[in-house]
Amino acid sequence: MSRSEKTSATVKERADIALNNDFLRKAVRFTTERLRNGKQLASTEHGNWDEWRERGRQIRLHTIAHLDYYLNLFVENARANGVHVHFAEDTAAATEIVMTIARHKQAESVVKSKSMVSEELHINHALEEAGIEAVESDLGEYIIQLAGEGPSHIVIPAIHKNRYQIAELLSKDAGEELPPDTTVLAGYVRRKLREKFLDADIGMTGCNFAIAETGSMVLFENEGNARMVTTVPKTQITLMGMERIIPSWEDLEVMATLLPRSATGQRLTMYMSGITGPKRDEDSDGPEEMHMIIVDNGRSGQLGDPEFQELLNCIRCGACLNVCPVYRQIGGHSYGGTYSGPIGAVLTPALNRNVAEWDDIANASSLCGACYEACPVKIPLHDMLVYLRRRKVERGHGNRWESIGMKGFAILMGNSKRLGTALKMGRILQKPVVHNGTISLKIGPLKGWTTYRDMPPMADDPFRERWSKLEQELQQDQVTMDATVKDRMEQLVQARQRSKRGDFDES
Amino acid sequence: MSLDTNRSNDLSKSKATNIANTVNHNATQPPWLAELEQRSRRNQQTFIDHISSRLGRPRATEPPIHPFRGAPSFWKEWSWEEQERVERFTAHFQEVGGHVVSVDNLEAAGEWIAQYAQDLEAREIVRQQLPELEQLRLEQRLPDAHLAVWNEDQQTDWRATAAGADIGIVMAEGAAAYTGTVMVTSSAMQGRSVSLLPTVCIVLLYKKNLHTRLGELLVPLDQRGRQQLPAGVHFISGPSRSSDIENDLTIGVHGPGIIYTLLIG
Repeated sequence: MSRSEKTSATVKERADIALNNDFLRKAVRFTTERLRNGKQLASTEHGNWDEWRERGRQIRLHTIAHLDYYLNLFVENARANGVHVHFAEDTAAATEIVMTIARHKQAESVVKSKSMVSEELHINHALEEAGIEAVESDLGEYIIQLAGEGPSHIVIPAIHKNRYQIAELLSKDAGEELPPDTTVLAGYVRRKLREKFLDADIGMTGCNFAIAETGSMVLFENEGNARMVTTVPKTQITLMGMERIIPSWEDLEVMATLLPRSATGQRLTMYMSGITGPKRDEDSDGPEEMHMIIVDNGRSGQLGDPEFQELLNCIRCGACLNVCPVYRQIGGHSYGGTYSGPIGAVLTPALNRNVAEWDDIANASSLCGACYEACPVKIPLHDMLVYLRRRKVERGHGNRWESIGMKGFAILMGNSKRLGTALKMGRILQKPVVHNGTISLKIGPLKGWTTYRDMPPMADDPFRERWSKLEQELQQDQVTMDATVKDRMEQLVQARQRSKRGDFDES
Repeated sequence: MSLDTNRSNDLSKSKATNIANTVNHNATQPPWLAELEQRSRRNQQTFIDHISSRLGRPRATEPPIHPFRGAPSFWKEWSWEEQERVERFTAHFQEVGGHVVSVDNLEAAGEWIAQYAQDLEAREIVRQQLPELEQLRLEQRLPDAHLAVWNEDQQTDWRATAAGADIGIVMAEGAAAYTGTVMVTSSAMQGRSVSLLPTVCIVLLYKKNLHTRLGELLVPLDQRGRQQLPAGVHFISGPSRSSDIENDLTIGVHGPGIIYTLLIG
């Protein structure tokens, strides 16, 4: 399965595919609009939204600035709760730990609730290679798993599929024809996954927040599948990005205020669960053995980097996707990584530490700043995109023609005579390609523009050459100024000068 | 595996706890797990030291001053009167598809549940093993239904019992009106499955435990401290739902599709 791998070479090629898919574009636009409006309503209804955002930002900034202390505190407390804590610096290490546990548990099936970290690590792939069934239990994740695809939205993973496509996938899974009716389809998944939950040897979850002071983990969800995964199987494995920490339950109130409202416009998700260790000896449900794998995978590289450290503040709400004019056109798969939208455009190259390979994604942005405005913890994503572009050029991965073009531009603009000559030549040279007052020729450097729209030709009588005449006209206007107006203005000026002098005298 | 003896809230003792845990784990764990534990402790040092070095300073061992703990101060001082708490809780819980019923006392609650179970023709009912729920007298009221009491004996497969139940009955420890949320906790007598696996979930909530803000439920968890926290604390704000298929709202995806809060008092 090639989930979340880059399939076509450039973001542009992938976007072209998405742009030709009419349903995808409509579905993405419709869903993002619904989520965006929901967020708008929920944040307005809540009131003082900017104060809450600032609070959220401060809590995240504080935790990340003291991450060594808080992460260690969390680990000690989680261990004292009976959790087996593991550390993984990269994908290979995390996968090795998961596989070790699965092997010793003689696991045949793993049932999963939504986890972006597990997508990042391609854990399903590793499990399946070892002959272990990995079942996604979030309805949307289950659908895209059947389709062999990756999530195209952080919050709504199957945003790009319509009910007919979903009915087809689920019918194949069921071995019988299912109608394209949401209730029937969801009902089928409920029945099917009930069995999977009860059969599974291991439950695997992500982690929205980890509370340092009590060693607890917190999960937000609507379906109840994360509760199933942490209640039914005997062994639980939680994959956690090392930056998911917050100090206390009290701080969770701020995150619980910001996350659901920003993600879906809900007051709170239907379920918010705080899990503190495995089941107690006397309990009759809950996991007997609980593992937490703390994953770095490029995150520590952002620490101490003044331009990118704030990336670790992200609470994965997806609000930046919903407001992004680029995401809304091209959808999540065009970004080619696990994370899409503005956050993906910055996070993917940052985590992979290979700016050169992912540089085209940083260019897939209009830098309008809507992502920053939507972000509940105020991450300046649009600035980070500019830093990425700068780093790419500094490290010599810039486009050669762009550099030459920029140098040429500097030479032209540095001397007014040179510019004037060049403009004159341009006006002469453009003559063969201007038709009906526009340029629509799709060749050479013009192609990028003229493929989508016409290019206006250079004016016959350009502003630069009209300026001397214009200036004369302006001066004439001044001469013929009404005498009474002139008088009044002069009086005003004199009065101002007098008062100024007065000020000086007093001081 | 018994970890109770090692549970320590005092972090200055964390080193001692480590050693105690290691000894204990070695005694009770299979070798592969003990080996993973050893590795974890070795890696912890490097992993966290690496974070400190990225942050450009020596390892922080003292608790940092956290000036922004919790919600903004204007928020912490604010609350609704009881009447408004009831109204808002009801409105918010119902808005997302839940139901709220006000009853005077446990007796009335028992009566309501019995009637509801009869209307639904519920055969299997599971409830938490709590004295308050005893007072509902459901066994007498519903002689034809099978009523299971969570963890009453050692032989029953309680997860399967809950999964097969039509109705699960639980007691809420508290609730927040602002978000329309009830809080249920787990223990030997209060299985997590009771509020999760049955088709219908009925939550009993005393009016006196209905607060205004979520923070009023969360701050006491900090105060309880690690050792006193239940393994599962579940905040429930309505029926299980999903909008994953074409944004079409579906109720009852994995958890209960029908949820009632009986507000007592």
